[in-house]
Parts: sequence; structure tokens; C-alpha cells
Amino acid sequence: MSDGGSPPGSKIPEVHLALPATPEFVRVARVTATGLASRAGFSIDEVEDLRLAIDELCFTLIGSKGREGRLELQYRLDGSALEIRGSLDCVDTDVPHLSDWSNKILDALVDEHEVGRTPGASGECGFRMLKRAG
Amino acid sequence: MAVDRERRAELRGQFVEFARTRDPGVRDGLIEAHIGLAEYLARRFGNRGEPLDDLVQVASIGLVKAVDRFDPERAVEFSTYATHTIVGELKRHFRDKGWAVRAPRRMQELYLRIGKIVATASQELGRSPTVAEIAKEAEVTEEEVLEALEAGQAYRFASLDSPGGSGSGGDDDGDGMAAQLGQDEPGLAGAEHRATMDPLLATLAEREQMILRLRFYDDLTQSEIAERLGISQMHVSRLLSRSLAKLRNQAEPVGG
Repeated sequence: MSDGGSPPGSKIPEVHLALPATPEFVRVARVTATGLASRAGFSIDEVEDLRLAIDELCFTLIGSKGREGRLELQYRLDGSALEIRGSLDCVDTDVPHLSDWSNKILDALVDEHEVGRTPGASGECGFRMLKRAG
Repeated sequence: MAVDRERRAELRGQFVEFARTRDPGVRDGLIEAHIGLAEYLARRFGNRGEPLDDLVQVASIGLVKAVDRFDPERAVEFSTYATHTIVGELKRHFRDKGWAVRAPRRMQELYLRIGKIVATASQELGRSPTVAEIAKEAEVTEEEVLEALEAGQAYRFASLDSPGGSGSGGDDDGDGMAAQLGQDEPGLAGAEHRATMDPLLATLAEREQMILRLRFYDDLTQSEIAERLGISQMHVSRLLSRSLAKLRNQAEPVGG
């Protein structure tokens, strides 16, 4: 994990990951998120909440058994705020959506979250979440 | 479980008889006489995300095996022998469920240490400590702390190998408290919660429902829940993660 992915001139560290869209790789998504969160000074409670949120969002996208294709993740650390976007090809699949329950728990876990078709990218679905430290 | 001397002699006699005759009636009697031991051991393995009923069943299978295999000629008490067999059966059950003891010992130890540090630091700081603070206290890197947390999430190694109390405190200390959860908590289990709760939640154990309610309906932090329930924050985290995973799997449409 490095900050090397930041575009020139940008002070905001960004990390990109492309993972197989299967459950065993959600762990990698979590570890990357918590690594960045720890840099941003998240408390252990916040780190644990973040892990739950990542699970909820990633599994919403890939389903509990996983699916074909790749899950692209983009992490952006802006001061004490961590923004994560996940996206997946969904040309041939239903657009993922959050159940009322998932919405409720994500409300408690993160500051902002959304799931659905990626605006401006046809055939692509994803999530965006933002969590601030403190 | 205190079996008096007379009763013990009687049971010993039955074991000798069973060894000789393999009489199913005697066998049933022996199983029944020791079912309390199976239940006791099952409870010691409770609180790890598996329903107690299942564990009692697994422990009972262990008990039946112990009765069938016990050799009364050997100079060992049946209860000692059966405890080994039953605990073995319970551990196998957890292993089969994917809770294998696979994390390196160093990580296990670190995970247990972190649990204590989190508890102490939360008290001292009056807030949840940061990863950096925990790493400093544990004298390891932040990555190691995160790795240990990740390992702890997946594997209940904490005291699987020592159901009789691991000396690690933490989770075991909370067993009694957690076991009481969901019995009488009028303020928490109020109708307004029940009414708004997804019916899926009802499929979880009372304890899991309770923790989900506290976190997502009452908006308590993991540390606050831990404090209220007298269990460790990391235990709360594991229970939350496991409950949410269960709900996800149930919510998934068939064939989806």
C-alpha cells in the first residue's frame, strides 16, 4: 500500500485496487481500508465499524458467493476522512441495491453511503462511502 | 455435577456391565446420567457464535462416543475421559465450521494482548484508542495490530483450546453476562424496536439481536456496548460481524 497512486500535484493520497469479485478477496479490501483509516487516526471503534461497512458494501455488490469479473476499489484519504468507491461491471446483472436493513446499519457505521448505478459509466454499478475520524 | 460416592460406585458397576453386555438400556442410563457434563461443556464453548442447542447436540454425540468407548478397567474416571472426548468433538465442530486455529500463535497472542490494551486504554482515555495508540502500547507496528484484528475476526482462537477458562479473561469473563442477555431488558427489547426490526433479525440468537439493536437502533458504539454487557470490545466486534454475515446470507435470494 502506498501513496504513489496520487496524481501529480495532488496532496490527497489515493489507493487503487482491482480484486476478483469473490468473497475471499473482501479481506484485502478491508485490510487496505483499515490500513488507511489507521493513518487517518481512526479509533479502534471506528476501524471496526469501517470493517463492517466494507463487508456490507462489498457483499452487496458481489453477493455472498461472489461473481465473475473484478471489483475495482478506490480509496481516498482526505485529512481525517476516508472515501471509498467500489465498482463492478453490471451489464448482465441486476443493479445492486441496499435493503432497508443495510441502509440502517450503514447509517450507523459511516457518514455517507450510496449504492447503485455509477453515474456517467454505463453498465457499471458501485458504491461510495465516506467515513470521518472522530 | 457432584456425584456422591454411592452413585459413583453404582455407575461404575453399570459401566462394567455395559462393557460386558453392551445392553442398550444400560447404555441409555449411562448417557442420561452424564448428560449434565455434556451440557456444561457445551456452555463453556458457547458465546462463539454457534447456537447453544447445536453445541449441546455436538457435546451429546461426544458423550455417546465416550460411553461406548470407555474402558472401566482403566484407572481413569469416566468424567475425565468423557471430558476429553466431548471437548474433542466440540473443537472438531468449530473446525468444521471454519473456525480452525490457523492464525499463527504470535498473532493469537497479540490479539489477546490488544484486547486488554483496548480495555485499559478506553478506561484511561475515556474514549476508544486509535490504532497508533494501541500499536505503541503493544510495541508493535500498526500493520501488526490490524493484522491481528483481522485474524481475530476470522478465528475464535481466543480460548477454544481451553474451555475451562483461558486465563486470558476477556471473553470468558463475559460468558455469564452474555448468557443472560435477552432475558429481561425491558428498556432495550421494547415494542418499538421489535416493530421496526427486520423479520430476518428474529432468526438470530437473542444475544446477537440484542447487540445489533444496541449498535444500530440505540446507536451505542462498540465500546459502549462492551461496557454495558461486560464483554470485550473485540468480542462485540466479532459478534456484530458474524451476525451481519448471517443476515446477509439469509437475505440473499435463493440461487442468487
